Amino acid sequence: MEATSSVETRSDFTRFIATFIYAVIVAAGVAIVFAKTTSPGGARQMMSIDLDIWLFAGITVAGIALRYFFAAYSEAVKVIACLGGFLIFTIGHDPMTRYLTLSALLFAIGMYGMVKSRNAVRVLMSIELMLNAVNINLITFARYVDPAGVKGHLFAIFILTVAAAEAAVGLAIVLSIYRNLATVDMDRFNLLRW
Amino acid sequence: MEFVNVQELVSTGVAEALAFYFIAALAITLSIGVISDKNVIRAGFLLIGVFGGISGLFFLLQAQFIALAQVMIYAVGITLVVVIALMLTNPRLQNEEAEEEAIASSEPALLKFLDSIRNGFPGLVAWIAFVTVYMAIRSEHWEQSTQTIGEDNIAVIGRALTTDYSLPFEFASVLLLAALIGAIMLAKAEKVEDTDTPREGIESGSN
Repeated sequence: MEATSSVETRSDFTRFIATFIYAVIVAAGVAIVFAKTTSPGGARQMMSIDLDIWLFAGITVAGIALRYFFAAYSEAVKVIACLGGFLIFTIGHDPMTRYLTLSALLFAIGMYGMVKSRNAVRVLMSIELMLNAVNINLITFARYVDPAGVKGHLFAIFILTVAAAEAAVGLAIVLSIYRNLATVDMDRFNLLRW
Repeated sequence: MEFVNVQELVSTGVAEALAFYFIAALAITLSIGVISDKNVIRAGFLLIGVFGGISGLFFLLQAQFIALAQVMIYAVGITLVVVIALMLTNPRLQNEEAEEEAIASSEPALLKFLDSIRNGFPGLVAWIAFVTVYMAIRSEHWEQSTQTIGEDNIAVIGRALTTDYSLPFEFASVLLLAALIGAIMLAKAEKVEDTDTPREGIESGSN
């Protein structure tokens, strides 16, 4: 969440303290989940009331609030929220769920970057990130569901090929557009507008 | 001299979990750096770290061939192409962002609030996508196999690529050839009379 409004009016000390408070809040959320999963029967109870989802929603709202009102550092808030949410979602689960959750998180980060970036090359980098997340997914299924046939590896190889082709053509298109329009800003490409 | 068998080390629970969390934290942090670093060249180099971390995950998942192919193709090849493209295109987006922020700070408070909601919309969509996918993963009971991947899995992959999957393999090679020719055609320097200044764009003509 980019809030440019209160950035100039807050001192560096306030921003640092706000970021630190946010880290403490997220650590408390992770500690709650850890205590729940280590106690007998706690994991099932946690699942039944969707505690992990609500905690993740809570730390997201806390991050937005600290960012908007106290101008906490944007990148730090994003990193703390993603790491904390990842821990909340994966503690006490089996390895397969861990890998799939990491893949989903990287895919979401790539999606966010793809929509948010204005530089066309950064958009291509985000797409590479998303393709990699899909690869993790395929390899995880090959490892835990189909270890004898390793079919997932084959599809991962094909995705690697397609990603290489996509990168080459995409960057060539970016280069060609830069030569013609002298910009790589996504907001200024209006060749295909109507 | 004792040799540590990586395969055995990986298949024991605690070591695998520790390595996984270390690599996952690295990959998540660096990928957030890739999408939010102000300096695009630095973001391109952070991408190497992300791909290297993901290749480590492939080692943990006992996919040695894919892990090394990942290092070769992504961490070296694609990142190199991305960085070269960044150096050939010279984005002056930082100045534009500063201008936009100056415009935004002179707006009234309500408009500023609405603007921040509009800017946060991609984050909301990504958040909902992540939580939805996670809930689907969590509620599904996968039929997991207890056995591990055999040591001859590279032989299995090679045999499958040349027998059952030979048609997609050939198509992939044709696709790569087409992409190569297309990339050369697109990136080939055009004949421009005045090479110093780029040609006047379509945007200035249409607006």
